[in-house]
Amino acid sequence: MSDLSHIRNFSIIAHIDHGKSTLADRFIQVCEGLTDREMAEQVLDSMDLERERGITIKAQSVTLKYRAKDGNVYELNFIDTPGHVDFSYEVSRSLKACEGALLVVDAGQGVEAQSVANCYTAMDQGLEVIPILNKIDLPQADPEKVMSEIEDVIGIDASGAVPCSAKNGTGVEDVLEALIHRIPPPQGEVDEALQALIIDSWFDNYQGVVSLVRVMHGSVRKGEKVLVKSTGKSHVVDKVGYFNPKPTTIPELKAGEVGFIVSGIKDIKGAPVGDTITHANTPDVAQLEGFQKVKPQVYAGIFPVSSDDYNAFRDALEKLTLNDASLFFEPESSDALGFGFRCGFLGMLHMEIIQERVEREYGIDLITTAPTVVYEVVMVDGSVEYIENPSRLPDPAEIEEIREPICEANILVPQEFLGNVIALCEERRGSQTSMNFLATQVQVVYELPMSEVVLDFFDRLKSATRGYASLDYQFQRFQAANLARLDILINGDRVDSLAIVVHREQAHSKGRALAEKMKELIPRQMFDIAIQAAIGNHVVARQTVKALRKNVTAKCYGGDVSRKKKLLQKQKEGKKRMKQVGNVEVPQEAFLAVLRVNDD
Amino acid sequence: MTHASEGLQAPPLGLYLHTPWCVRKCPYCDFNSHTAPTTIPENDYLSALIEDLDADRDELDGRPLQSLFIGGGTPSLMSASFYERFLDALSRRVDLSQLDEITLEANPGTVEEARFRDFRRVGINRLSLGVQSFDPGHLTRLGRIHDDSDARRGVTTAMDAGFDRINLDLMHGLPGQTPEQAVSDLETALAFNTGHVSWYQLTIEPNTAFYSDPPPLPDDDTLASIQEQGEAVLYGAGLQRYEISAWGRPGEECRHNLNYWRFGDYLALGAGAHGKVTRSGSGRVRRYWKTRQPGDYINRIGSRTAGRSELEAQDLVLEFMLNALRLSEGVPASFFQARTGLPLSRIEDQLRQLRAHGLLADTPDQLVATERGRCYLNEVLEAFVP
Repeated sequence: MSDLSHIRNFSIIAHIDHGKSTLADRFIQVCEGLTDREMAEQVLDSMDLERERGITIKAQSVTLKYRAKDGNVYELNFIDTPGHVDFSYEVSRSLKACEGALLVVDAGQGVEAQSVANCYTAMDQGLEVIPILNKIDLPQADPEKVMSEIEDVIGIDASGAVPCSAKNGTGVEDVLEALIHRIPPPQGEVDEALQALIIDSWFDNYQGVVSLVRVMHGSVRKGEKVLVKSTGKSHVVDKVGYFNPKPTTIPELKAGEVGFIVSGIKDIKGAPVGDTITHANTPDVAQLEGFQKVKPQVYAGIFPVSSDDYNAFRDALEKLTLNDASLFFEPESSDALGFGFRCGFLGMLHMEIIQERVEREYGIDLITTAPTVVYEVVMVDGSVEYIENPSRLPDPAEIEEIREPICEANILVPQEFLGNVIALCEERRGSQTSMNFLATQVQVVYELPMSEVVLDFFDRLKSATRGYASLDYQFQRFQAANLARLDILINGDRVDSLAIVVHREQAHSKGRALAEKMKELIPRQMFDIAIQAAIGNHVVARQTVKALRKNVTAKCYGGDVSRKKKLLQKQKEGKKRMKQVGNVEVPQEAFLAVLRVNDD
Repeated sequence: MTHASEGLQAPPLGLYLHTPWCVRKCPYCDFNSHTAPTTIPENDYLSALIEDLDADRDELDGRPLQSLFIGGGTPSLMSASFYERFLDALSRRVDLSQLDEITLEANPGTVEEARFRDFRRVGINRLSLGVQSFDPGHLTRLGRIHDDSDARRGVTTAMDAGFDRINLDLMHGLPGQTPEQAVSDLETALAFNTGHVSWYQLTIEPNTAFYSDPPPLPDDDTLASIQEQGEAVLYGAGLQRYEISAWGRPGEECRHNLNYWRFGDYLALGAGAHGKVTRSGSGRVRRYWKTRQPGDYINRIGSRTAGRSELEAQDLVLEFMLNALRLSEGVPASFFQARTGLPLSRIEDQLRQLRAHGLLADTPDQLVATERGRCYLNEVLEAFVP
């Protein structure tokens, strides 16, 4: 084995606001990856969207040189991980490239559920986990309690937990020292044939595909011919390098290191995440175990507002799936919305982010239909179908049974909010499976219909607990339920893209709420618009959007028509965000009305 | 982009003269108006107007003037002598042989009314009175400086001064207004039997005091009731609605405004005025506008013409339609080509669709909206927005 003792590859597992980004920024500062002047806040969250939402979506990496107290200089490769419940899949990907992880816990708030789940993933993958107690400068910090909670919930020895404050810098060097002493260096052989794992790939308009890799064995240089194992295609390496955090070209990437490879791959499917890269002359190098494919939990139809954008939209989705294997899409056509795609997502945040990225980065206006989970439908003839589109639910006469997905939700919450959490879970038709009182929090586990969890449960949970509760959930099984399709009719026409699946006992209340919300969202037009909610032929709710009495500008002085023209242009712009259903203009938001029925 | 300009003909020509001063700015007004100084610099303004007129001789192209409209601001703040001298200068430069309508906007108020007789004497033959309402509460809300008795007296004074063509400007949809109050305003106005009423709904425009601090306006259904009941009263008094907001006895229509709506030409004169001229030489239609600040206009800081633009084909279409379709009788279809230089076939798809939806009348020789089409005119016009 080559001597890689100066390298450390690690991730940080942390809850969204437990201080991961701040800590990462401190590392960069201590290691002088950036000068103070260059130090923009939270440099690692590089997508605009990430910075706006204060979350990490995509894996990013940064390579730092740290001069330790033992006098040696270490190469630290930090691979960032997303912190939101929707993106746990991305976490396991980042962890594959590491030998260790820092579990950052807010010393005042304690462990949260997502970190627990990620910590288990890290331990399953054999990583060394170092607990870090952040925010010890805060008056409510209680390191003792939080340490015992780490031991209770996660079951690791927390006695060596490192206290620090990323905010004021206290203990940050202790964290770095712990990191180099406790996380093992990578194992690898520089002289062996190249074997590199693609952690992430993304498309750059100037360079083509850029891949973030962890080199397991061997080395790779500019000008060499490399082979992407699964595609069998060879490419010449244009450059290799690392992020510090600016992309920095270096002559060679070696075993144990993390960095990027650009090799002129133009086809976005040319460097799949989880694939193995080797040299063209060593095609027999073993393919590394890739990443487990995750199943989307939420499906929705997404349609370009303008049918001209269909091809551009497909290209955009293809580019996004390149480094987001959890994004699923297949063509869908709707009577109301034309041609688009049925897309599968990890959760609602994932869906919103994909929609925003397509709209923002590709300039395509989209209409998204109500998100739904996958239902298992047992047919009278005994066959089983999986339905992820309510409008495709077969004729009730052919259905023996509809089964809905049930998940196990693991919630950690301070005791004072326990009552609220239980009330919310009961309201969402949950059944409690366990409750466990910990040092600072209560761990409560519920079985809940997935459909009740994926839409707005997380947001509701947060607001019911002043943001303190944390959640992790996993699919358990399909379970028979009394379900039916609720249709929405506009002026008597069933609109396929507005259908949702509901529990029969909720059909009336959901139908009423939905019809009312639709009435609010559809603007008055030149004629009355009838909105009906129906189960089969049985109308359960009805609302009318009264016709606009008039739409004409009262005064028009012939002299200056520019204002009037602007008004008309604005009116027309507004309609671009609407879809013509029959002769009714339906705004984008109306297709997502089901998500807003709980708004006040 | 250039466009075919076949068949483009120079249409009738009007002149819009803007006087920019007001005693104070009303909270709903988005026109180019400025608080008047203690003494309005009439002489300086007059010299500037004449210089500007001379500078724009090219736009005129030797055509005769059909109408003159003096708007503001508050034109009745200027003296009759100012207009006498202006008209005299105008007559030396422009063919006025066909000029049969000179309208002046005036406000009720003792100072202004004292001038009405002189205005009439110097040749102004139509007065447009900014009454807005006869309800004292609403007049206060609108920030008007006159009250309801001023309004009534103003109309009488104008009639006594010898004006036989008088328009009364009335607004409706005022803050807190009921249909009954709107009808009462109309009945009061109609009792004077002046033969012309502009009855238009208050709209909140950007860059006004109402925009930053919006008053509580009646809801849509109340507005629609006001509209319905008001129209019945206007028709009942024997007036014809010849445009969305303009009502007149047959023959009493405002020729100057009709020319706008028929996409005729008009010269711009005075601070912030807008003009439109057809350039028969280049086959293009041009819009131009004057610098807005009275001081800049007088002292000619920069050019008095602040900007001009040749209309592209797509703008021509929209501007033609948004004017023409406001008229109850619309315009002859032949006007389209004559006044835009574009073939009617350019808009045949839109015309066919709008006719199929009952928004335009199915009359091949006349471009005219149906009653329903005028009700939803903004929806109709959207079809012509590029």
